[in-house]
Amino acid sequence: MPTLPHQGTEPGPGVAAMLSLCPEASMSPASPWSRTPVALLCALPALVQMPALGQEGDLAERLYRSGERAYAAKAYKEAVDTWGQLLQSAPKSGFAPQALLALARHQMEVEHKPEAALPYLDRLKAEYIRTPEAAEGLLLRGILLARQARRSTELKDAMAEFNRVLDLFPESSSVPEARFRLGKAWRDQGQWGRALQQFVEAFRTHPDAAVAPRAMLEAAETMDLLGDLPGCLRMLQQLRTRAPQSLEAQEATWRMAVRVKHRLQKPPLSNDGPWPAGRAKWLKTPTLLATAPDGDLIIYQSDLDHAFRLHNGDLAPIGPGVPGAKAVVATPAGGVWLLSKAGLLREQGAPTPLNRLGAITGAALDRWGALWVADAKTPALTVFSPDGASRPVASPTANALAPLPTGGMVIAADADRKLLFLDADGQPRAVVPYGKDLPVPFRYVIALASDGAGQVAALVEGGDFGEGIMILGPQGAVLRQATLKSLGISGHITSLALDRSGGLILCDRRNDLLIRLN
Amino acid sequence: MRLRRLLPFAFLLALGLAAQDPTLKDTFLQAKTLWATQGDREGATTRFEQVVGALAPKAATLEPAWSQILCESYNWLAVLDDRGAQTKSRAQGRLQALLDLNPDFEVDRALTSQRLATVFDRLKAEKYAPVKFTYSPEGGTLSVDDRPGPPLAHRFLPFGTHKLVYSRPGYTPVELSLELVPRDTKTADFKLTRVSSTVTLYVQPSGAEVLLDGQSLGRTQGHAGPDAAPLVTPLGLRPEDISAAFVIGELTAGKHQLELRAPCHRTKVLEMEANLATPWADHTLEPIRLEASKGLLSVSSAWPGGELFLSGQSQGPLPVAQLPVCSGPYDLLVRFPAGGFYRRITVEEGKALTVEARPKPRLAFLGLEGETEFTGRARFESLLEGLGGRLQQVAFLPAHPGETPKEALARVQASHEAELVLLATPVPDKVIHQVELRVATLEGEEERLLVKPLEEDPLGPLAARLNAVPSLHEPGLGLVLLDLPGEPGPWVLSASEAAQKAGIQIGKALTQANGKPLPSTKALRQVLESARGTVALAQGGPPVTLPIQTEALEIPLGAAGLCYPAVLAQLRLQYAGAKGDEANLIRLNLGLGLMHFHKYDKAIEQLRDARFSNASGVSQGTLDYHTGLCFLRLGSAYQTEATQAFRQALKYPQATLLGPEGPLVAPLARQALEDLK
Repeated sequence: MPTLPHQGTEPGPGVAAMLSLCPEASMSPASPWSRTPVALLCALPALVQMPALGQEGDLAERLYRSGERAYAAKAYKEAVDTWGQLLQSAPKSGFAPQALLALARHQMEVEHKPEAALPYLDRLKAEYIRTPEAAEGLLLRGILLARQARRSTELKDAMAEFNRVLDLFPESSSVPEARFRLGKAWRDQGQWGRALQQFVEAFRTHPDAAVAPRAMLEAAETMDLLGDLPGCLRMLQQLRTRAPQSLEAQEATWRMAVRVKHRLQKPPLSNDGPWPAGRAKWLKTPTLLATAPDGDLIIYQSDLDHAFRLHNGDLAPIGPGVPGAKAVVATPAGGVWLLSKAGLLREQGAPTPLNRLGAITGAALDRWGALWVADAKTPALTVFSPDGASRPVASPTANALAPLPTGGMVIAADADRKLLFLDADGQPRAVVPYGKDLPVPFRYVIALASDGAGQVAALVEGGDFGEGIMILGPQGAVLRQATLKSLGISGHITSLALDRSGGLILCDRRNDLLIRLN
Repeated sequence: MRLRRLLPFAFLLALGLAAQDPTLKDTFLQAKTLWATQGDREGATTRFEQVVGALAPKAATLEPAWSQILCESYNWLAVLDDRGAQTKSRAQGRLQALLDLNPDFEVDRALTSQRLATVFDRLKAEKYAPVKFTYSPEGGTLSVDDRPGPPLAHRFLPFGTHKLVYSRPGYTPVELSLELVPRDTKTADFKLTRVSSTVTLYVQPSGAEVLLDGQSLGRTQGHAGPDAAPLVTPLGLRPEDISAAFVIGELTAGKHQLELRAPCHRTKVLEMEANLATPWADHTLEPIRLEASKGLLSVSSAWPGGELFLSGQSQGPLPVAQLPVCSGPYDLLVRFPAGGFYRRITVEEGKALTVEARPKPRLAFLGLEGETEFTGRARFESLLEGLGGRLQQVAFLPAHPGETPKEALARVQASHEAELVLLATPVPDKVIHQVELRVATLEGEEERLLVKPLEEDPLGPLAARLNAVPSLHEPGLGLVLLDLPGEPGPWVLSASEAAQKAGIQIGKALTQANGKPLPSTKALRQVLESARGTVALAQGGPPVTLPIQTEALEIPLGAAGLCYPAVLAQLRLQYAGAKGDEANLIRLNLGLGLMHFHKYDKAIEQLRDARFSNASGVSQGTLDYHTGLCFLRLGSAYQTEATQAFRQALKYPQATLLGPEGPLVAPLARQALEDLK
């Protein structure tokens, strides 16, 4: 197998210098792995005193390889101990930074203790910044810091690490990932232009990098945020052309489809009838719907006090059981949280009290893991951070809430008869009066749903419009709408969800079924 | 008498005189004339000595005709020396030299005095004994002490023991041992026993390879002598038109297949009947003529200054039209002032082959650095030497034997005979198991690849990367298409004004291309790649014909499958033959290639002077945006220039990166300007 294509040149060496250049010391030693004899390990304390650097290097290599062998055999403790010995006995060896990196990865990927990885990465940064491994170390450190951030201002340290990778190691294979992460950080701060720059640079300058499809997907989504729908669609198509087998291409397929259908084709809504496959009376009083990150529908059945995941036509219980849930939240990790008068119920543990919110009308998680809760009796939104602390976000009383890809939320304020598109800080970026773009107005919003691609669906009632459905674009323009009457629906619809084929699923609690609108 | 002696001399001249300086023969003839007609003994002596001086040092390797001249010159010098009082003493030395050269040579008794002839005979008798030979049958070859020669009836051989072997195809050789002493006269009688038939061939052309039952027996040589005239005259040929006789001996019983091959001729296969093998006899076949086998080769190029070489032989400057060449495989090479073109071609008999030569960068292999031995080194070196055979986009120049890499680099830099260099360097280690391959342009852009010499194909990745040439264009129709679930074909997101005028409807799927169903954008790409000029598209109604456009592309940066020094070298060559927007596109991509190597100043040189005429897709805005990026990379000193470039880029809202469907430049330039504030 070929190894390590070196792209580009270090500053300076030209053809003439080529002949006098020594091969880089950073090249990974490739001598065959040999198992470290037990006797050698026992003699370590004595061996480490030996001054000969060559012997130390030899020992370090053997220790490193021994750790690799143990790690491959999932003997993690042995591997960690061996690499620890390497760091103690041969800290100046070229294998020391490799060992630090391996130990950090172990903490992140196997132990799932990112905080335990940081000390290794800190040491790598402090003592081995000149080694090639430092690039990956800085990248990992940045990723961990970004994960720990709970608000946009806490991203600075992470971004500094990503920028260090770009500045100090421009030839490193970590560069595309660093650019991608930098783009995500900018995007999380609402700096979409800067985010787009980084995403584009990531796949433009490293088209073969593993992160390239993700960068293309994020670039497309960012273009949409910037109002460039054609650019977004072109990019999604490019992604499907360039990496057709990738998960990102699958993601691009539905994101492209729903945008085109809702925003460009905009066919009149039609009633496909009971869904899936005409199934009727198969649920026990469904009242809430949500969409999982993978597109599966989450259905809360009131009579069963439980949420269920609908996967390939089969229902499977998910999340905790609780009577009278008022909101269901699908988490990025694939779990389901339920909100009721009793509080917030996660998969495990006791309910978390939600201050005195007794008329919950909607809830959603933001990028920082904070839970935004709307309450019909509270003239503000309440945001619960992961550590349980809460803070109010000034807003009219919200009768429904759904997350937006901008990082903000859309809320319905019946009292003001307005839909408010809030940014990540809770500031309204677009206000849509009830009835705008409609022949006649409605009075109430029963439920809101969003699809993660910029579309928002609203279940409305009252006024001259009566019970009906609206699908709005990212800026609040009504894209598609219909009354339930015109669709021939007479049940009691309590919730809705946008699916990934450009359809809309309605939850009919009276008839114990789901209805699909196309 | 003298005339009769000159006859064999004339024949020998024809056989072998060509190997020496022809003026030597004139000198020899002048010497004889000076003495015979003018009596100029000194002049004749001087010239004979010139002949001797030139021929004597290489007497052992002389052709028979020149050996004869040397012998005669000694004879003449002995005679001339004998006539002068002061030179008389040298005459015997001349005769001794003559005897040492050829004891079978007989002095010219008409020329040589009786006294001198007696001296000659005495000298000969002191070292040599006469041997008389008889041969049955005649016409074979006599080897004396393993030196083959013609079967003469009389020979003078030095005293001592000699091994004599007489052989003739179709007969068992006979060996004799002969002990010669002074004043001895011996007789050697050879009588051979027949063991097989023989077949004698004469082939036109000479030099044809003779194969019997698939086994090569050698090649026909020389040309037939006058004795072949009866054979060739009825065929309208002259003896010199055909090869000398080629004898196939030891023909075993049964049928045989005779095959004759010669370059530039059609191979001939003859079936030999069993009666040629038995009963035993000597057969002579009618002269065999091989038909010429030629084709026509035409080579041209849009690039100026090319010279055509076929398997190393120059065929003159391009264009070369309808050049008759022998059928068969050739290494076709065109040398351009910069770059070269190489292709292995096969010219087929009676057919015309046309080659369009586009110069390729030349890659000079500098060698494997150092003498450090490692396992697999010989194999690795052999693979490196054979790398050229695997490269289609780069002309490979092998290393010069005996030259160090440093010397090779100096040579290439001085001569500019290559655009790229390749150096292999073993990576020092306890055991060498890695070799670093460095490919660099003469301008200094360099890329490295580590390979393991023991792996199955260590040069495979390098060859693949050198063979990968990114395209600067793709065919397009002025449409932006999406693959949407549920749609029968590519869905038209947008269309150029021309496409809309032609009848393409936005928001509707394409259903057919050239009358065939069109399920996806991938299928359309395939249609475009094979179509010429136009494509007929349908959207569920009557077809609309759209012209195929050439849309500009940027080279991908950081692609693992590309060798960027080679890409740059390709682009530099392409630029030499390009004009207009094509030249601008090449400059843009040269700039990108240099940005890949972080040579932003050099990239700006390429980018800033190019001016595209188009404003959408990869175009002027693209170029301005990259110019801005380069200035940014050069630091705050060029902030003003960067700002100016990004502002320029904003003037082209339809400009894109990568290709016609890549991201728009404008939002990126706008953000860059924002950041520069």
